[in-house]
Parts: sequence; C-alpha cells; structure tokens
Amino acid sequence: MNPLPLVTAELRRNALGCAAIVALIALDVALGVAVTAQERALREASARAADRFDLVVGAPGSPTQLVLTTVYLQPAALELLPAGTLAQLAQEPGVAAIAPVAVTDSYRGYTIVGTTAEFAAAGGITDGRAFAQEHEAIVGSAVQLPLGTMLRPAHGSPAENMIETHEHDFVVAVVGRAQATGTPWDRAIMIPIEAVWAMHDDVHGHGAEGGPSTPARLDTRSPERGLERVPAIVVKPRSMTDAYQLRGKYRGHDTVAVFPAEVLVPLYALLGDVRELIAGMALAFQALLIAAVVLVIVAALAARRQSIGVLRALGAPPSFVFLTVWLQGALLIACGVLAGAVLGWALARGIGAWASARTGLSIDAAPGAAEAWLLLALFVGGSLSATLPSLATLRVSADRLLRLA
Amino acid sequence: MSDPLRSLWGVFYPAGLSLRVVDLRVAYSDRGRVARTVLDIPAFEVAGAMQVALCGPSGSGKTTLLNLLAGLQRPQRGTVHWSGVELTALGQGALDRWRRETVGLVFQQFHLFPGLSALANVLLPLRFTQWSIEARWKRRALDLLERVGVSAHANLQTLSRGEMQRVAVARALLRAPPIVLADEPTASLDLDTGRLIAGLLCTLCRESGATLIVATHDVALADSLDASYEIVDCRLRPRLARRADVEAVVA
Repeated sequence: MNPLPLVTAELRRNALGCAAIVALIALDVALGVAVTAQERALREASARAADRFDLVVGAPGSPTQLVLTTVYLQPAALELLPAGTLAQLAQEPGVAAIAPVAVTDSYRGYTIVGTTAEFAAAGGITDGRAFAQEHEAIVGSAVQLPLGTMLRPAHGSPAENMIETHEHDFVVAVVGRAQATGTPWDRAIMIPIEAVWAMHDDVHGHGAEGGPSTPARLDTRSPERGLERVPAIVVKPRSMTDAYQLRGKYRGHDTVAVFPAEVLVPLYALLGDVRELIAGMALAFQALLIAAVVLVIVAALAARRQSIGVLRALGAPPSFVFLTVWLQGALLIACGVLAGAVLGWALARGIGAWASARTGLSIDAAPGAAEAWLLLALFVGGSLSATLPSLATLRVSADRLLRLA
Repeated sequence: MSDPLRSLWGVFYPAGLSLRVVDLRVAYSDRGRVARTVLDIPAFEVAGAMQVALCGPSGSGKTTLLNLLAGLQRPQRGTVHWSGVELTALGQGALDRWRRETVGLVFQQFHLFPGLSALANVLLPLRFTQWSIEARWKRRALDLLERVGVSAHANLQTLSRGEMQRVAVARALLRAPPIVLADEPTASLDLDTGRLIAGLLCTLCRESGATLIVATHDVALADSLDASYEIVDCRLRPRLARRADVEAVVA
C-alpha cells in the first residue's frame, strides 16, 4: 500500500489552501514556542545575573527594589543604610568579601555605579586596568566609550522620566574595560564608591532629602572613613551557614538582608503566570485552529466523497482511503508545527536580542524540552483530530459515494 | 484471442468470467417509508468473454445493476455469481479484493485523479496493495497508454475529455481483468470521440477475452455488441436478439 503519490498529488492541487493552513498553524505555534522559550531564557539570564550577588544588605524597604537596583541596576530611590553598617559588616567573621553598590549617576545613558575595584573587576579586565583612585573608572563590555574618555557624571538615572538631572563638577577617566558578564553591569560605568561620596559631598543638598525625584539619596555627611553611608552592600559569605546567619542578623530594624532568589522566585512565578496566560491563549487559539483544520478536512472530504467513492470502487481497501485522507491532514499539521517551531525559536532569539540590548541581560533563547513537548502534543492532537473525519470514509459504501457525485 | 497480451496475461487470469444472476431484487426506501422497487430480475446470465449492452432510460436502474454486478452494492434479495464466486456471500474485505483483482471499471465521468499524470492514474489501483510498482506493471501501463494513444506523462489538466476516457480505459484494463464494467462510457463525449472510445474498449476487451458489460444510451454502441438488454419496469429483457450465440436467458 502506498498512498503517498495520491496524497502529494491532492496536496499539490490545493497548494494555495494548504499553504494558508500551514502558515496559520506555523504562526500560532511560533507564538506558543516563542513565549515559552523566551520566558525560560529570561529566567535563566536573570538568575545568571544574580549569581555573584549572594546576599544583598540594604535599608528597610522593598527587597524587590533593593535587588532590582543592585543586581539589575534599575534606578530607584533606595534608602541609605545607617552609618557604620559597611564597617560593621566588614568585621563579621562569616563575611568573605563585601562591596558597596551605589547607583546614583549616569553618563550618556549609561548607569554609573559606585563600588569597589575588586567587585567591579571581578570578572576580569579585558583592556586597561582596574580603577585605582577616585577619578578613575572602568566601563562594562557593552559601553561604547574608548579608554581615556574623560567624563563628568550627571546626577540622576539614564531613565528619561527622572526630572532632575545635574552634572557634577567631578571628572573621571576611563582606565579599563571589564570582561563581558551577560548582565546589566556590561552597560554600566563603574567608579570607586569613594568618588560617589566625594561627588555627593560636593553637592550635598542638591536634591531635597527624601525628595521622590532623587533616585538614591546619599547622605555622606559622616566625614570619618568607614562611616560613610551607602544604599546597598553586596556580601559574599564564607559558607551557606554564614549566609543564613548574616541574613538573620541583618534583617532587623535598621537593615534588611535578602538573597536575590527570595525576590526572583516570586517574580519568576509571576513571569510564569504571564507565560501560562499567553501560552494558554496560544493553546486555545491552537485548539481553534485545529478545529478549523478539521473543518477544512471535513469540507474537503465532502468535496472529495466522489474521489473516495472512486477509490473504493476501484478496489481500494478502506485502510488505503483512510490513510490517504488522514495523511493529508497530518502532513499539513506536521509542516505547520515544524515551520512554527523554527519560526518560534527565531522569534524568541529576536526578542532575546532586543531585550538583551535594552537590559544588558544576555538572553539566549535556545530550544528546550517544554516546546518539544508542546509541538509533540500539538502534532498528536492535531493528527488525531484529523482522524475523526477520515474515519467517516470507512463507513460509507462505494456506490453511495459515487451516487453523491 | 491471438493477441500476445492475451496469452501473456491469460496465464494469470482466466478468460472472461461468466455471470449468473438469480432472483435479484433491489428496492430503495423513500425517507424510510414506501419501498420503491428498482430492479427485479429473476434470472440473468452472460457467458464468459461476451460483450453485452444494458440499455434503458435514465433512472431505470442500469447503474444500480452495474453496481450490483461489481459488488459495489448488495441486493436486498438474490445472488450474483461470477464463474462460481457468489459476491453476495463475500465479506467486505474479500469483496474489495475480488473487485480489485477481477473487475475493470469505466465511468461516464472518467473519475481520474487530476493531480496525477496519465501513467500514475493508470497505475493507481496497484498502489492499493503495492508500495512500489514492479517494472512489468509499468511496462504494461505504458503499452496500454500507447494503445489508447495518450502520452504517459501527460498532465490530466491538459487532456481533452476523450483523452481522459482513454486513460480511464487503460486504467480499467491494467490488470487484464476478466470482467470489465462500463457505465455510460461514451455519454459525456461527442459522437465521433464516443465511437472511438467504444471501439477501443471493445477491441481491448476482445483481445484480453474479458467479459464486457456496458450500460449505455448509445444505440450504435449497443448494436455493435454481442447482445443488448434493456431495463423496463424494473425487469431486464432482450433489446434485440442479435446473435445466435446469446446465452443469456431472461425470464
């Protein structure tokens, strides 16, 4: 038995209609695949970005905001930690390393982060060297500034909705470029935390304290070294036990300590919910499409009852007729699903590249098992649905089909 | 009977099968109410390799009778025997198989598959059981297409109606079936083309020794065959006894 010549001939005859069905299925599958792949890629990329932020200590407030600002450099008005927290943390036996992080200024759309040379250059320096003094800076791998650039940080964030911007009378020179990390830090200019203190000492009071338009108020009035105030401190604990102890100890009246995962997990849940919602809509749409395909098959069957009758009259076994009809539907669905998979992953990569460019997160949407299962389920569901109308062909006798001609 | 094809294919297929119909009755129910009798044939016989015409006005039951003879339809009563095989006793699978291997069908509307070439159309019935077509069948199909005068690779869309019926005749004769049943094979063709096709069909059947039964309006075609019958009031009766060797008996 070989129904393929007949199947391909029939499909070729209706090439335009078939192409339309395949395109519809492909577009729909692409949407489902892109959403699934993209959500996973975003989740993985954001988790990767949080890797080196074991524990983040900030002033009491929103832990989500603390993590978003510190890890993803999203500007926000963070409260400052009490003076001395930095020094106190440095003394903790369970602490391997600490780094203050202050996101306060910007330059030509790049976020300027005040931190330590060790933290800024943790991934390595590809070009030049790490900063050694207040008037030096290193840039992330994605910052389009040549070494040697002299820049004047502006107070305020790169986001355009910040009303107040103000150029500091403070110049830093770019002396090095950090290794790419695939995180928003690739799009940041990193300066010594001391430079932040120095700048904001100069212009103390330029943003009314507590004013909502000031992204990060740095009250650096404490002149004594070690008592300067910072909005956030990244802590690298010596061990897991230390991590939990530190988290407990610094979770109090004056400070809050969070593992980024504490914030990310609920965010992922939300992201997952959104994914479920979109994927659910895509699935509902897919169900509709498959119903439409089945309808098309039924309609085509009605138009081809004559052909089916002829096949039966010529002695074709019902199984041959069934296969001929079923294969036409199944092939269309298979083509649509495959084309949709390719299109969906391409779409996910495109969105990933776009989102990477905007956030600095290296979002790499790769084919995953979830989509493979989705595709398999679609194909099986679709071709099973195509079976039902085809089964009807088995039940009609040849002379009746011929008579209907 | 001296045709080389006949001797070659006669090895696999016996000469035309003989038909015996007994007490055949078909009635259609009109929306489940009154049954309308379409055919009522107490007895009808056709000897092997005979060429017989079935005449009668439209709707008289010619197609129904052909369907019954081909095993496409089962009668409410009575039996159809082809050289000892009682169709009415065969199961669906066996009946399909018997028809596939024994009967060549020619339709008024050709019923070819437009997506397939002429050759692929002729070979299509073999696809029901074979994955790939053996070379001998391909040769046979090419020979037949040459006989009917249609290019093997012709696209169906470019063929005239006469040419399409030629392809259909080649398809019906591919397996050199011992029975050929044709339902108005010339009715949708112009007069000259119809004559040509009818001549071709008769000649090829004569060569292979097939029993040919043709339902037709075409008086010329009916007259050219060994015998012709007409259906009148559900009954089959001789239209004109033309030859002495007519072995059909009509009650």
